[in-house]
Amino acid sequence: MGTSNKAATLEKSRLQTMAAEYGVPRMIITGFLLLLLVMAPFVGVNLPMQITNIINRFSWNAVLVLAMVPMIHSGCGLNFGLPLGVISGLLGGTLSIQLGFTGSMSFVVAVLIATPFAVIFGLGYGWLLNKIKGGEMMIATYVGLSIISFMCMMWLLLPYNSPTMVYGLSANGLRPTISLDGFYNQALAKFLEIDFEKIAQARGISLGWLEYIKIPTGSLLMFALLAVLMWAFLHTKTGTAMTAVGSNPNFARAAGINVDRVRTLSVVMSTWLGAMGILIYQQGFGFIQLYTAPNNLTLPTVSAILIGGALVNKATIGNVIIGTILFQGMVTMTPTVMNAMVHMDMSEVIRSIVSNGMILYALTRKQEGTK
Amino acid sequence: MKSKRRIVFILLTVLLLVAISACMMVIGRGHTVYFDNKTLEGYEGQDYKAFERIVVSVKGEEVAKLGKRERGMSIWIGQNFKMVLEITENKGDEPVVKEISINLPYDMDGIVINLPAYLAGLPEEAWLSEFVPAVTEEPVEEDPTIGDEFGLDGDLTGDLVGDI
Amino acid sequence: MSKNKNVPLDKRALELVRNNAVPIMFIIICAIFIPMAGFTPGYLINEIITRMGRNLFLVLCLLFPIMAGMGMNFAMTLGAMGAELAIILVADWQIWGIPGVVLAMILSIPFSAVLGLVCGAILNMAKGREMITGYILNFFMGSGIYMMIVLYIMGPIIPIAHSSIMLPRGYGIRNTVSLLNMRQCLDDLLAIRIQGVKIPVLTFILVGLFCLFIVWFRRTKLGQDMRAVGQDMEVARAAGIKVDRTRLISIMMSTVFAGFGMVIYLQNMGNLPTYTGHSQIGMFCIAALLIGGASVEKASIGNAFLGVILFHLMFIVAPNAGGFITGDSMVGEYFRVFMSYGIITIALIMYEAKKRMNKSKAGRELAQAQREGEGAQ
Repeated sequence: MGTSNKAATLEKSRLQTMAAEYGVPRMIITGFLLLLLVMAPFVGVNLPMQITNIINRFSWNAVLVLAMVPMIHSGCGLNFGLPLGVISGLLGGTLSIQLGFTGSMSFVVAVLIATPFAVIFGLGYGWLLNKIKGGEMMIATYVGLSIISFMCMMWLLLPYNSPTMVYGLSANGLRPTISLDGFYNQALAKFLEIDFEKIAQARGISLGWLEYIKIPTGSLLMFALLAVLMWAFLHTKTGTAMTAVGSNPNFARAAGINVDRVRTLSVVMSTWLGAMGILIYQQGFGFIQLYTAPNNLTLPTVSAILIGGALVNKATIGNVIIGTILFQGMVTMTPTVMNAMVHMDMSEVIRSIVSNGMILYALTRKQEGTK
Repeated sequence: MKSKRRIVFILLTVLLLVAISACMMVIGRGHTVYFDNKTLEGYEGQDYKAFERIVVSVKGEEVAKLGKRERGMSIWIGQNFKMVLEITENKGDEPVVKEISINLPYDMDGIVINLPAYLAGLPEEAWLSEFVPAVTEEPVEEDPTIGDEFGLDGDLTGDLVGDI
Repeated sequence: MSKNKNVPLDKRALELVRNNAVPIMFIIICAIFIPMAGFTPGYLINEIITRMGRNLFLVLCLLFPIMAGMGMNFAMTLGAMGAELAIILVADWQIWGIPGVVLAMILSIPFSAVLGLVCGAILNMAKGREMITGYILNFFMGSGIYMMIVLYIMGPIIPIAHSSIMLPRGYGIRNTVSLLNMRQCLDDLLAIRIQGVKIPVLTFILVGLFCLFIVWFRRTKLGQDMRAVGQDMEVARAAGIKVDRTRLISIMMSTVFAGFGMVIYLQNMGNLPTYTGHSQIGMFCIAALLIGGASVEKASIGNAFLGVILFHLMFIVAPNAGGFITGDSMVGEYFRVFMSYGIITIALIMYEAKKRMNKSKAGRELAQAQREGEGAQ
């Protein structure tokens, strides 16, 4: 009796720790997503198409979410300063078009141009964050908002004149939304793309529901490449130093690590990944969005990695992947299933509650390290 | 003892606030009052003719000059509606000034008063009716849930630019 | 140190400039912009007076959390939401004029108090990160909970009688709710006109009463406790002050008064933008207070007054001045938004940098004291 009881309690406590590790909010979100997926066929939603959507969205957003990782590792907290990277990416994209590049080449050039911007912004931003250790997140938010509103002026004032991008003929100011057709629209996604519908047509056979599935292999490969690089980096000497700085700066300093330099490096990496992230997002989405649009990416991205199980001072590649799938899954599934079920679209509200609630949850948990 | 006094104090405050709100709900209820200078036909077999001209003043301000078959409008806060009428019954008559106060029903937003019937001293149901706004087919405009095809856009907008 | 007494005048002037760098900068900006914008002085004064009446109450609400050391209350918007819920109901019940305003204020108390309670409790769980938490909290409430109530609950669950404020689909509130019958009723009562400038005396009296209340409140036991908590939480706790409770009260007071402020604001505007009305309030109030020379840990009533004047002066003239300089008034519009964000950013950076400097100074002093102690042994 006694032993079985003991075993039972042991089992129970193991379950409890597992649950605790996974986190209650994440469990709720996973459950919610599973529920949506299960319900989808019953309410007449085309599940394979939704899955294609989720994969697509994942390929757009994953790199942006990945951009959170370095800064979390070095103890700079959640990167609310993501707009800085996004702006570098936007500069790269628009300049590449302005210089007259087209097709896939424009993507390569956009990356090349965005890189120096991201490095310079990252260095400045990193320097600033070193001055204000402890208050990174709030200041990052407002640095992001400031640069967005500053660039709002710049998009109007900079002497862009490519007819695809400017307002009308007068050439004063860029349009808020610029179509990428003929430029790097689907530049990565089309690379090795698996489109079952085309396969079926080519072979002259029917593949049933599989025909709805379409995989943007190139974008996913790009993410995989960056993620593997990130993983490898975190296992180099500098990478472990970064983790050390994040988990215990005093210890790291005692071990002879130049804390400020490591933090600056992490910020530069985050900013550059942010720039890459927005370019990859654009090639999937097909449009460049300027002016206030970059603001709309920050909070969803931050909450995606938190949903994936990251803490304010701890994040892995796994968190990025799980978080992006869960978040994008929720974003895709909620409106369709809700609409099919009750003809009432509450998805906006639900998404807002979930994503901001997740950030709140992470901020209110007691943690060591970042204070 | 101190905590008991506190509870009493809080209760009294709440009670006072509730009392004030109740008071405000009564004295602040707004009505839109419409006055018709229209012939009332066939009320208990009798017609009540419209006047040649009525000038309506509310709170010392002239709000309407009504010829035959015309309608005027005024807003009023509270239930104790007062107006001054300057009535010209037939062409060429000297206008007669009358001060009138009417008790408005609390739960009616728009109230139509038929002046000839009222001035003839008929019972309330003859001259007072509720104004029902005409149902206009509206184009399906505004839907604040911003149509969001692509997920992440449209969120949190309005935070950045706007007037104050 | 003894030299401090007879510092030369120019040095003292320099000190004064350094301490008030932000307001001085904004005075200069306004001085440059005003002639460019080409408004008549009468128009400018009228606008400023209107905007002071509209915004001062809201800005003053920020003082309580600063007193308690919780920084800028980004979650002040919660109070604004409470007021908006109250105003929607009052508009639906057709209570007009001054009684409508009074009723909306009273009705906003329970909403704001509950929101403030939740906010305070959450901020107590996130000590040291109050501002970012408050910032996120206002998105959580604003585009989450508030939207849910206004879009889906009002109509089916909370009865709304008038189709004029309801969406055509039958539930949810329209994008704009007209407050025509409440418009400026507070401002117009007792208003004085001096050469075309309307002074909303009653609104200013309310603001004045609120200022007196703040001055009085600072001297009460609770106000003293708040300031003690703001100085040093640990010391305050050791002195027997209930820290969490004090912080909670400061946030609740801020939220409830913000609700009143929002009612004043809305009656002046004359209509309620249901979904966007609250979203910028917090940011603009904080920017105004900071421009008035406040910092994250210290703010006075004077800062609020000066800030509202300078901020709104900049706000009014920026689009035209931007148009004058670049030929595009949109640039000016973005410029004023940029200025608001920029000023908050700079204030936050100064605050954090100073905090860090003090911390390291304290650390050094402690280390020195220890060394001396060892030396004595």
